[in-house]
Amino acid sequence: MNQEEQKRIVGLSLDEKINYSKIIITEALSRFTRDDLYIAWTGGKDSTIMLWLFREACKDLGQPIPGAMFIDEGHVFEEIIELVDKVKNEWNIEVSFIKNTDVSDKAKNVGDLIRISDLNERNRKEIEKLEFTEDTFPFEPESFVGNHLMKTVAMNLFIEENNIKALATAIRWDEQEARIKEDFFSPRNNPDHTRIHPILHFKERDIWDTIHKNNIPFCSLYYIGYRSLGAKGSTFKNSDIPAWEQDLENTSERAGRSQGKEEIMEQLRSLGYM
Amino acid sequence: MGLFNKLLKKERNRSVIIGLDGVPFSMLKDLKENSGIPNMSSLFDKGYFGKMNVCVPEISSVSWSSFMTGTQSGEHGIFGFIDLEPGTYKMYFPNFMNLKHNTLWDELSKEDKKAVVINMPATYPAKKINGALISGFVAIDINKAVYPTSIIPDLNKMGYRIDVDTMKARQDHDFLFQDLKNTLEGRRRAVDFLWKEIDWDLFIVVITGTDRLMHFLWNAYEDTGHSYHKNFLDYFKLVDSFVGNIYEKFLSLNGSKEDKNNFFMLSDHGFTKIKTEVYLNRWLQDNGYLKFQKDNPKTIMDIAPDSTAFALDPSRIHINMKGKYPFGKVDISDLNRVCEELKDGLEKLCFDDGNCVAKKVYFKEELYNGPYIDQAPDLVVLSHHGYDLKGRVSSPEVFGLTNLQGMHTQDDAFFFNSNGMQCNSIFEAKKIILESLKPKQ
Repeated sequence: MNQEEQKRIVGLSLDEKINYSKIIITEALSRFTRDDLYIAWTGGKDSTIMLWLFREACKDLGQPIPGAMFIDEGHVFEEIIELVDKVKNEWNIEVSFIKNTDVSDKAKNVGDLIRISDLNERNRKEIEKLEFTEDTFPFEPESFVGNHLMKTVAMNLFIEENNIKALATAIRWDEQEARIKEDFFSPRNNPDHTRIHPILHFKERDIWDTIHKNNIPFCSLYYIGYRSLGAKGSTFKNSDIPAWEQDLENTSERAGRSQGKEEIMEQLRSLGYM
Repeated sequence: MGLFNKLLKKERNRSVIIGLDGVPFSMLKDLKENSGIPNMSSLFDKGYFGKMNVCVPEISSVSWSSFMTGTQSGEHGIFGFIDLEPGTYKMYFPNFMNLKHNTLWDELSKEDKKAVVINMPATYPAKKINGALISGFVAIDINKAVYPTSIIPDLNKMGYRIDVDTMKARQDHDFLFQDLKNTLEGRRRAVDFLWKEIDWDLFIVVITGTDRLMHFLWNAYEDTGHSYHKNFLDYFKLVDSFVGNIYEKFLSLNGSKEDKNNFFMLSDHGFTKIKTEVYLNRWLQDNGYLKFQKDNPKTIMDIAPDSTAFALDPSRIHINMKGKYPFGKVDISDLNRVCEELKDGLEKLCFDDGNCVAKKVYFKEELYNGPYIDQAPDLVVLSHHGYDLKGRVSSPEVFGLTNLQGMHTQDDAFFFNSNGMQCNSIFEAKKIILESLKPKQ
């Protein structure tokens, strides 16, 4: 997709954007059967409205909504579980809860060290792939190794074991620079499948407008200031007012997330190191 | 606690260490002579105060890592603020998780001794410690920079700041002094709090504001007519009060009057005025050693296959070896020849003022040994004072300037000990400090 087309779609009105998403979803549902397609749901605001969009599209088409996949990466907010339970029951969603228990069972608390030799072959191979050469690593879902094992590997295992052909995820172009290159349909390999991105063109503001306009349930943490929700131990809020009331356009959505690479770079650069 | 144990605790030696990031021995000597630092002046006269050499490259993450482990990068694994993921040109930021050697306080905890460590650079994210740890630069999230996490609310309440806002301070010098003061005050409150809160054997606090000030406004120190000259000296007076305050608390500890306890001070490198920045990757390009895939490369990942070598910040040269990197070109049999050739070329590099940039070009084996030597750069350049080496990927010229005014030096750090213990090299400090905590007969 070229920049111009991207700009055009991002500039659509909210209703037009919602329609556009439904078109993507309808296309996806025609390409893949219900059992071959899963909706990646985190309980966060973006994937919840994506779920809602699927629900609306399926209502229009008279088709059953595909199943959702929820990854328990080892440190989930209770409030997220609450939201997932509520929506799952209200909307009658079949949710597959997945967890890389081979890893998480080895740690009592976040931060505990896990010995790599105690893990199963798949997990050990995955760590080798990262060229990580230590004997142990701390159980930290948002760390380099932790993220890979608890999110990526968990998801890949699920895809492989269930022969999944397509996975819908709620990424957006305006979240991170790396996402600008993403397309609505995106082939992946290892394992081979297609990614579907129905809300790429939504801005953070669009997400909240959609939620409020359509009374879509959302996690209570957003009320008290959280803008973006990751693993419990590494997500913080920079404000106490509801997410949608904050200055979305001029402050960073992911400021409370621990990825922090850009912030580290900025600090190093400011002192001449980079 | 039984009476015997109480007596044992009373009998123990305690040590206090104040780190002043980047403060040169020569500057302290100068300030001492000009009554700029009354507390430190009288303190330095009471023990050993001397120059100290540090590591190469002489940057804080490597230097403080060397200080806390008592060893060099080949043993502790930290070679710079950035490094490459093995077998790739992909950059990552080594942090405390990547430090591969026991620290000073790890050794103490083996003897059940406690340490308080405040604002030590290169200790982020914070790890469990017998005592308390607050990470220093580069620490972007207070919630991951503290052990035990139970003290975070206290730190927040007292306005503790990990660092000044360096991005803003670099451009706004009025703000810089304001922020330096606020950060120092928060640091002081944290010291007062943890001094009482933890029953420590070793107490370490590092001031990093000094380094920030000298990067941004070195000229305000050297040039007595500079509009911020007084502000510069006033900040050092504040730092001096900070030291004086801690020294007073130190004196009131059991055993201090009898010289059983030790008061240490040191820096992790010195500072001097930047004459010019030197962009090593540009030099490598100009001399045919480095090519990029595009006209405006952003990172080393944009390197082109026909490259012999590339530089990592600030002064590390990596040879693009076959089998080591995806586009590796140099055969291992050719490694020595290429290194010698590069060393030769770098030694001949001169600035417009006619002076040579390089004081010494080291082979990796001259600086490092140990299990992590494979990660080490093949060559490291130590420059003469004034020539600030940079590993920036893209630059139109070899020489240039930014608005930064001060650069690090390797040979002008300082060391002080109240009982006359000497230390000429930062690699020796850990041993000396552990020695100071051993009970004396």
